Amino acid sequence: MGNLASLSQQLAARLAPYIGDFNAQMWIKSVARRELGLAPEELTATHLNPLIDGLRPFLQTLMGRTTADNLLQQIGREVH
Amino acid sequence: MRLRLLGAFPLLYAAAFLVIASFLQVGAALAPFAFWQRILVRVLAAAGCFAAVSCFEKGDHLWRAWLWLGGGTVVILIRDLLRLAPGFAPQGTSPQAQLVLTGLGIVSNLALLVGIWKLSRAWKMASITLPGGRSGFSAVVVVTAVLALAVAGPGALNHAREVSQGNWSALVLVVSALVDIITLCLITPLLLTALSLRGSLFSWPWGLVTASQLAWLLYDVAAALPSSALPAGLPLAEVGRGLAENFLFAAGMAQYLVIQQVRHTSVTPMALHPAGPTS
Repeated sequence: MGNLASLSQQLAARLAPYIGDFNAQMWIKSVARRELGLAPEELTATHLNPLIDGLRPFLQTLMGRTTADNLLQQIGREVH
Repeated sequence: MRLRLLGAFPLLYAAAFLVIASFLQVGAALAPFAFWQRILVRVLAAAGCFAAVSCFEKGDHLWRAWLWLGGGTVVILIRDLLRLAPGFAPQGTSPQAQLVLTGLGIVSNLALLVGIWKLSRAWKMASITLPGGRSGFSAVVVVTAVLALAVAGPGALNHAREVSQGNWSALVLVVSALVDIITLCLITPLLLTALSLRGSLFSWPWGLVTASQLAWLLYDVAAALPSSALPAGLPLAEVGRGLAENFLFAAGMAQYLVIQQVRHTSVTPMALHPAGPTS
């Protein structure tokens, strides 16, 4: 369970510098619910790709498609 | 550090403008000084907007928003510069020239409105959680709408009366006042987005755009006041305009710098400051 919780925490920690802690957590919660029907603490490493795909439109709005895609790729490499 | 300097720049500029204007108030030099500094702040605002445009791809939501803002600023800059041409001088403008000036003023106002509207709806597209919930949002909407109507409403009515009496040059002022009312209402989502993002990298462009819109509110208040209500020689409307344009410049540059920092972070992840980048 600790490992499952840490995925959302790791993702939130990487997004927080750009959008703040609260928004980062809300994004992950919202995408986890909408795309996977799961709570953030239920996320595992196998959910990483759909999570990142779900976050993509939000980030693309704020920073543009290419920058968002590159950042998400980087986050995908860092988060386990 | 660069972002903080950008945030301070409009205030430092306003202070410098006031000092210089206070020295010039007794001479005939104040009017040309005010005119050329207006041109300067328009050029800066356009430069900031196009710097922001340059960091997005064609078709990105914020690419469109900044392009509209930059385009609107360029059009109003052209309108100001046209005033220098003999046929377009404020005194003795021909009806045709007046039509061109009115048209440029309306196009500029509408372009700026579209830009601000696009920025103001980004929170919804990006699923940003606004502080205060639905009731907080509604409360701020009501306050800004009342403020907007109180500040720009009387002017809009007066200018509409002038148009109804055949003074078509006042049409641009009617459109401008109506655009002011709508854009002032759009302060709500901009302000709440900036508050929601506070402490993060992306709070900078949103906060500075909000400051620009609040400065336009100051401009509208100053423009609506009778000259007798202000100390002699205090160009408060010009101060408001300068603040608004310079905050727009700062917002555009902040947008550019923030995106550059994200790109840099994507290449070298350790460059990210966990506590919130402040570059």
